Amino acid sequence: MHTTESPVELAGVTRVYGKGDAAVRALDGVDIAFPAGSWTAVMGPSGSGKSTLLHCAAGLERVTAGTVRVVGGDITNATDAELTRLRRTEIGFAFQTFNLIASLTAEQNVAMPLRLAGRRPDRRDVRAVLDAVGLADRRRHRPRELSGGQQQRVAIARAMVTRPAVLFADEPTGALDTKAARAVTALMRSMVDERGQTTIMVTHDPAAAAAADRTLFLCDGRIVDRLERPTTREVAARLAALED
Amino acid sequence: MLLLAWNSFRDRWQVFAGAVLTVCLGTALVQSSLLALVAAATAPVPDHLAPEDALALQGAYDGAVTLLSMVLALAAFTAVFIVASTFGFTVAQRRRELALLRLTGASRGQVRSLLVGEAVLLGLAGSALGTVLGLPVMRAQTWILERFDFAPTGFAAEWRPWAVAVSLGTGVLIAVLGVLAASRRAARIRPQEALREGAGAAQVMTFSRWAIGLVCLAGAAVLYVLFPGGGAPLPVWFIQLTPFLVTVPLVVGCSALAPLAVPLAAGLLALVFRGVTGELALSNLRSDARRSAATAAPVMVLFALTAAIGGTLATVGEAGRQESLRTVDGELLVAADGPEAGIADAEGVAVVSAQAEVLFELAFAESGASWYEAHYGLAVDPAAYAATHRVEPVAGDLADLAGNAVAVSPAEGREREWKVGDTLRVRLGGEESEVRIAAILPPSVAGPEYLLPIGLAPEGTGPWEHVVRLDEGADPAAAAAHLAAFGSVTTAEESVDAAAAEDERFTRDTMIVLLGMTMLYTVIAIVNAVVIAASNRRREFAAARVTGLARGQVVALAFLESQAVVLIGLLLGALAAAASVLGAAAALRVITGTTVVAVQWPLLFGLALGAAAVVGATSLVTALSATRTPPIRLVAARE
Ligand SMILES: Nc1ncnc2c1ncn2[C@@H]1O[C@H](COP(=O)(O)OP(=O)(O)O)[C@@H](O)[C@H]1O
Ligand SMILES: [Mg+2]
Repeated sequence: MHTTESPVELAGVTRVYGKGDAAVRALDGVDIAFPAGSWTAVMGPSGSGKSTLLHCAAGLERVTAGTVRVVGGDITNATDAELTRLRRTEIGFAFQTFNLIASLTAEQNVAMPLRLAGRRPDRRDVRAVLDAVGLADRRRHRPRELSGGQQQRVAIARAMVTRPAVLFADEPTGALDTKAARAVTALMRSMVDERGQTTIMVTHDPAAAAAADRTLFLCDGRIVDRLERPTTREVAARLAALED
Repeated sequence: MLLLAWNSFRDRWQVFAGAVLTVCLGTALVQSSLLALVAAATAPVPDHLAPEDALALQGAYDGAVTLLSMVLALAAFTAVFIVASTFGFTVAQRRRELALLRLTGASRGQVRSLLVGEAVLLGLAGSALGTVLGLPVMRAQTWILERFDFAPTGFAAEWRPWAVAVSLGTGVLIAVLGVLAASRRAARIRPQEALREGAGAAQVMTFSRWAIGLVCLAGAAVLYVLFPGGGAPLPVWFIQLTPFLVTVPLVVGCSALAPLAVPLAAGLLALVFRGVTGELALSNLRSDARRSAATAAPVMVLFALTAAIGGTLATVGEAGRQESLRTVDGELLVAADGPEAGIADAEGVAVVSAQAEVLFELAFAESGASWYEAHYGLAVDPAAYAATHRVEPVAGDLADLAGNAVAVSPAEGREREWKVGDTLRVRLGGEESEVRIAAILPPSVAGPEYLLPIGLAPEGTGPWEHVVRLDEGADPAAAAAHLAAFGSVTTAEESVDAAAAEDERFTRDTMIVLLGMTMLYTVIAIVNAVVIAASNRRREFAAARVTGLARGQVVALAFLESQAVVLIGLLLGALAAAASVLGAAAALRVITGTTVVAVQWPLLFGLALGAAAVVGATSLVTALSATRTPPIRLVAARE
């Protein structure tokens, strides 16, 4: 089936914020499909609509026009309950601020999506995911006892634990130092390679984009360019050109 | 879900400690009022007492029951109100955390049950503590009741085993009721609020806020219009209930609409607050209208209830005082143990009316049931009474007030149907007999409600009061000197003023009994709200300091904000109270024909200054402690 190839498809998606004179066209007729098992980076100047693209693709934001399909289903007009089910089973999120629940341990944070979905978290599953992000020995730590890079890896483990069809990441390395950023990027690469994890990532970091399979460039709400497996240097040059 | 509830409970204990405290104190207060009420309602009246004494004792217990029902109602209302606003507030402060849960797959129902789960935990913890704390509170309450003569000496409430179940149930129920509205709001938090800074600035004036606010305002307005009663006089005891009928719904309505008052108050304060700190304080106030409104809520309830109950009672008292002054047509009053016949013959005395209060019971029988109602009547000589009081019967003639006849000033609905010539069954001095209604008196605030001929007064009635009208041109001072032989002499004004002073004392005592504990509770809630608000602002304060504000400026900022919040609370509270006092005045006007409004300015100013001082001091302390850490550590701190 077509959808197994592209778990996320956007067709003619437009998103307008505000009304009248104050209206902002954050996305303007975007057509894009994200192939299964691939890692796509989205880049562009600040305010170009990257986050909006991600939120619309994940069903967090309603689109003004166009359709969004996630794992075959049209979510353009989905109800809250349908979107909740989607978040539980098909979608994982990782973000710039790691958004862990401060009162829970790493292990409990990772198990949270399973528990919310009403499933009994299998300890071994949870440990396996924490192991995969290299934090098996930190599972009883709370977020404030972990470094930024470690917290981000816990957040990725939390996103991965439900084995989602798509992982959405908005500037996952944005708040990290170079070393921690590299570790997180390597982790995401291995998720794609070993598990075939479809990943959509917004980033400002050319090195992170270079690790992805392809990079889309957004400007004023439109996709203006795309590069397949570019080098860090190529990405940086393209971005610099856009930001001028 | 329960684990998460427990975890978030354990981790945010500073915020939840405040909520537990409010539940604990609320439960203690409700439990203590309930036990005292049950004790008063079931208090035995010993058999060996004389009928009058038994009647008086029963009357004292009945009075205590009435008062304690109101204490209980106020305590329950305040507890639910305070707990609800505390919860609403903590939920508003946790939007991001709840949005994150939604993002990781929580359904709306799960967010709701998380909050309700927390509420159950809080309710259990709070009410377990409250059950224990309830005992000393109960002692204090019965002591106050006895100390101010609202309960017979020796009145004691005892702890009862079922109180534990009731208290735990009440505590959990109050907490859950309190959280229901907040949890519905929380369930509407959208997942992307976890992602976008500022997406959490949700609409403050939600539909339900509008709905609750407008329904309560409309309800109060309807009552307010009904208060003059379409021209029919209302019983005075009912008029005294206006604070409950008008102010309580207005408090709820005003607190729902409070965010609307924030920009108004900010605009007002812009005239006073100058400089960068002042401007910042006002913009903080406006930008977090919900926080401002939540902190203002306990101030509002404190001020509204005190001002409304105090003002209404004072207004009724003042209307009664003016009515008495208008009614008495005499210069002097002589108080004595027995009726003094000699006064009439004293030099300069034109006419004298001897009168004494008599406690009697009306007997009713209706559809198989029969019961007695205790009333006070005034035993008088009708001719002398008519000569010394400006009273025109509405029907009948005071001259017929002889033998087995009475005159009534109908107050209750049932009494209004009485006509001249009707017969009533009364029990007086242990004996039941039939009396005829000889005259209907106009409605009155100060009474008397019943006039009885002296012949009906039982043996030993007294003390007696003699209203004396002097001869034309007689010297009051000389007459007073003569009359001093019969008893203690005062002028009519002095006597009315003394009664009014007595009334004022009674009002004050009633307020202490009714409101004392509850108000103590709201003061703690006020401190609590300020502490909770500050606990979430460390980072905001730190950001302000990184931007260049000195620590002193940040503290000053917090202080100014706190004063603005107090002002909002006071304004809304005053509004809710004014409606009650004016409603009472309108109802009294129907009875007396004149408009009287009494406001206890010293009390209100004291209260306002006290609230400003308490909130100001708390915000200074919390802001100082929140700014102790160097700002950069907080701004850089991770989540
Ligand atoms: N909730 C919102 N209301 C109004 N405008 C918004 C909102 N969210 C984003 N925008 C606007 O939409 C545009 C795209 O925003 P965003 O997708 O966040 O850009 P990026 O992530 O590329 O920096 C910006 O101009 C931004 O100001
Ligand atoms: Mg963005």
